[in-house]
Amino acid sequence: MIASHEIETRLREAAEGLLRDKKVDIFLGYEKASFPFRTSPLFLSAAEKARRLVWNPFCSANLAVYLPRLFKAPADARAAKVAPPPPTVGVVVKGCDARSVIALIQERQVPRDKLVLVGVACPGMMDARKAERALGDREALGAGEDAQGNLRAVVEDGTEVTLRREDILADACLECRSPTPSIHDVLLGAPVEARETDAARRRTAEFESKPADVRWARLQQALAKCIRCNACRQACPMCYCKDCLLDQTRPRWIGAGTDISDVTLYHLVRAFHMAGRCTECGACARACPMGIDARLLVRKLSLEVEDLFGYRAGAAVDAAPLLSAFSMDDPQEFLTEP
Amino acid sequence: MSQTVTVREPASPGAWEPKVVAFLCNWCSYAGADLAGVSRIQYPPNVRIIRVPCSGRINPAFLLRALQNGADAVLVSGCHPGDCHYISGNLAARRKFALLKDLLQYAGIEPERVQFTWVSASEGGRFAAIVEKVVEQVRKLGPNRKLVKSP
Repeated sequence: MIASHEIETRLREAAEGLLRDKKVDIFLGYEKASFPFRTSPLFLSAAEKARRLVWNPFCSANLAVYLPRLFKAPADARAAKVAPPPPTVGVVVKGCDARSVIALIQERQVPRDKLVLVGVACPGMMDARKAERALGDREALGAGEDAQGNLRAVVEDGTEVTLRREDILADACLECRSPTPSIHDVLLGAPVEARETDAARRRTAEFESKPADVRWARLQQALAKCIRCNACRQACPMCYCKDCLLDQTRPRWIGAGTDISDVTLYHLVRAFHMAGRCTECGACARACPMGIDARLLVRKLSLEVEDLFGYRAGAAVDAAPLLSAFSMDDPQEFLTEP
Repeated sequence: MSQTVTVREPASPGAWEPKVVAFLCNWCSYAGADLAGVSRIQYPPNVRIIRVPCSGRINPAFLLRALQNGADAVLVSGCHPGDCHYISGNLAARRKFALLKDLLQYAGIEPERVQFTWVSASEGGRFAAIVEKVVEQVRKLGPNRKLVKSP
């Protein structure tokens, strides 16, 4: 495994070069945040500031979420006349982020020729909350990695604690099947092999083996925590609709409160909107302030999409999005008296 | 098509009867239901029909809202594949429905509560038979308690 600091150096060089040579107008990456286990997104437009970029096991945010709004189409023909030309954007992508970018290109939300993708072969990102939980009451003051990629955290009293990488990897990363970006203009680091390919399937099968009433009860129990903050929607790179069903009031499709029925409806609808579009980056689960496994339902749909239609979101730029295509031979065993 | 169907009387006034909301496409299934009517084919009166332009018009949120508002089941019916008035509305819908049904089943909602089928304008008998089947299944399941919003 290539050490993070090595990738960081090369990332800064790449960004600096792209900005200096005017190959990109904006470069999107990560910078140090106020807490050791976090990073913030960074929008760079000056080459000399490239050294603010960082690369560490907490660069988990999916930066593709910022892309559609950078290429928003002008409201009408008049606005189009005076609108500035779309910027060229450089962006750091991990395996999952690259899939999101592909899905956005497929859905015509971002133009491929305006993107410079700096891919990083990703060994998996750490879950800040898992790390904090592992430290218990001790607050981390600093973080680094050892040679094996384990997390070394400096805690309040100045002692150093090593947290095993395997124990604090993010759930989405444990299930990851495409750690190396399949689309990129520059690739930093050597391609990484997927850890195991059926982790998501195992988790889904575990839930599915329960009787229907138990599944429902478990879902209700998990969703009872939901405060309807919409963070999972905001964090998702594929949730870019200008007129979201949730914001409509005439009709109001889903009640706005935390009534369990409305909450369930919200999560069902959100999951369904991700069918054939979710690229499994885990941004929704990471964004949830209540610690709900926001991927529970979507995970199942992604597998179903694969089994029924042989389709994987964000796999090929030129493939038609799953639900905007059809075939006479699509499966229809689900029908009542087909 | 001269089958006789015994329409069940409610056990007692006010006893629970299944409520099925049916979304039928204007061109095939609604006409099929109409044919069942003009042919005087009896089918259970538990079904409430909503006419939609095409099965492709159906947003999964319609079905979820129906369940939330107290329907015991929803039935969606459109033209047979290849017969869509709009060429491919039902084909586009078929993919969505397949996934929706799987999703709801996974979440723990009984699969009988969300049913999809094709009925053509000439299949009055088929429509009646399907409604009868759906209502029977729902009757066995009992009232829908999941997803229903309590007032």
